[in-house]
Amino acid sequence: MARVTVDEELCVGTGDCARIAPTAFVVDEERNVSIPLAAAAEADIALLLRAARNCPTQAIRVVGDDGTVLHESA
Amino acid sequence: MSHDGEVLLLDHPVTTITFDGYDAIREALFNKDLSRSFDKRTYAQGNVRDGVVSIVHGATHRARRRVENTEFRADRLRLYERELFPAVLETMLDRLTVDRAVNLFELGELLSVVLAARRAGLDHDPEDLGQLRRLVHFVDAFSQASAILDARDPDAVRAMARQAWADFEAEFVRPSWATRNEAVERYRRGEIGAEELPHDILTALLAHRGSDPRLELDDDGRVVREVGTYLQGGTHTSSQTLINALDLLFPAADRDPGLRDRVVADRLLAQRVVHETLRLRPTTPKIKRRAEADTTVAGRRIPKDALVVLDVATANRDPRLFGPDADEFNPNRPLADDVARWALSFGGGPHQCPGRSVAGGFPVPPSFEPDDDHLFGLVAYMLQAVLRRGVRPDPDRAAVRDTRTERYTRWSEYPVLFDPPREAVPA
Repeated sequence: MARVTVDEELCVGTGDCARIAPTAFVVDEERNVSIPLAAAAEADIALLLRAARNCPTQAIRVVGDDGTVLHESA
Repeated sequence: MSHDGEVLLLDHPVTTITFDGYDAIREALFNKDLSRSFDKRTYAQGNVRDGVVSIVHGATHRARRRVENTEFRADRLRLYERELFPAVLETMLDRLTVDRAVNLFELGELLSVVLAARRAGLDHDPEDLGQLRRLVHFVDAFSQASAILDARDPDAVRAMARQAWADFEAEFVRPSWATRNEAVERYRRGEIGAEELPHDILTALLAHRGSDPRLELDDDGRVVREVGTYLQGGTHTSSQTLINALDLLFPAADRDPGLRDRVVADRLLAQRVVHETLRLRPTTPKIKRRAEADTTVAGRRIPKDALVVLDVATANRDPRLFGPDADEFNPNRPLADDVARWALSFGGGPHQCPGRSVAGGFPVPPSFEPDDDHLFGLVAYMLQAVLRRGVRPDPDRAAVRDTRTERYTRWSEYPVLFDPPREAVPA
């Protein structure tokens, strides 16, 4: 199980993560920021990393089930 | 790799530090202490760039981008690329290629400005070429103003920009503002739903100003300049990229006669041509930042107020990432999964070009097999459309580079010829 977080101080609401991994992220339309869904923990790691790498502000942090940081936020 | 120097801004020396390595530039683009808030008197004051989203920093920048990025989400991109642009593209080309001998720069701007104006929230008649040319006039003025740090005569640019900004406000922004303000008021009174509001930047700004002080949009002039920024950004660079794509493609097609037909037939190849073009000919070859505080990039200490120059054009040709033929035009080059085909040409970090997916579409999948949701970007559509009409360099008129700035990848004239329309060809 992965632990996925979005740093709201960095997110600018492009929605790219929700497009790439719709089972893991959704855009909060009130605040225009992305938030990880509970299902993100079960999502395909490769997809999560693609969303994280593609994030223009590098707001996404992905930690593997063994505690290894797979992608660090900026 | 980095090197130091000094420039004079308004007669006082400023330390400049230049980076030309890919990793160092990426690090700089994400550094929170490096802003695009240059010396106000040199860059912003009296200029259309004053207080616009591409200049503001920190919380204000974040708040603006969150509001404005709603117009760049996948559903909006899909609508523009799959429905609106194809409808405009062929009709416009029919009208703009009647003369056969055409300046491709003007053609590219006219093709781009229709949807850029729509996204910005500027009412116009897409059938009225006179009105579209007027919008393009403002695009050109704002483009010069945004490159003022590279201008050979900054005072002349500032005077020109002030006049253009005033005319733009009177002719286009205020009439559009009035109708959108009315819609926003009706929405606030509960008379219409959110889905009935116009989908554009101007409406988004009017709907949110006042509700969030971090937006810093109390001043009407800022709203006008912000809308102008999106009009310019959505028009000028797309046209320049179209020209540069053809300027690279023409000699490549001389060496490989089947290339033109393959690009016309394969939209993903057309997209790769656009991405390779952006890598080799970035519209902003050197991105600039200012140090808000003492900071460090790639182990180099950057003093507060230093001008940091990010030499993207050099980094984009790093053979370590792009192969031993990094200087060559090769839209099929193999790349690691985490390296963008356009390299650093859209910038990166919080200020990454918001129109990246509009012009360039989504990243090309490494398999070269796009899924049904893939978008190719509007420039790929333009490229295919002009190639289909037989575009070729005009042998009697040389192309002219835009020498008003030091951005050497820009053109002011690119004369081309088109084939006669099919129905006019004798049987």
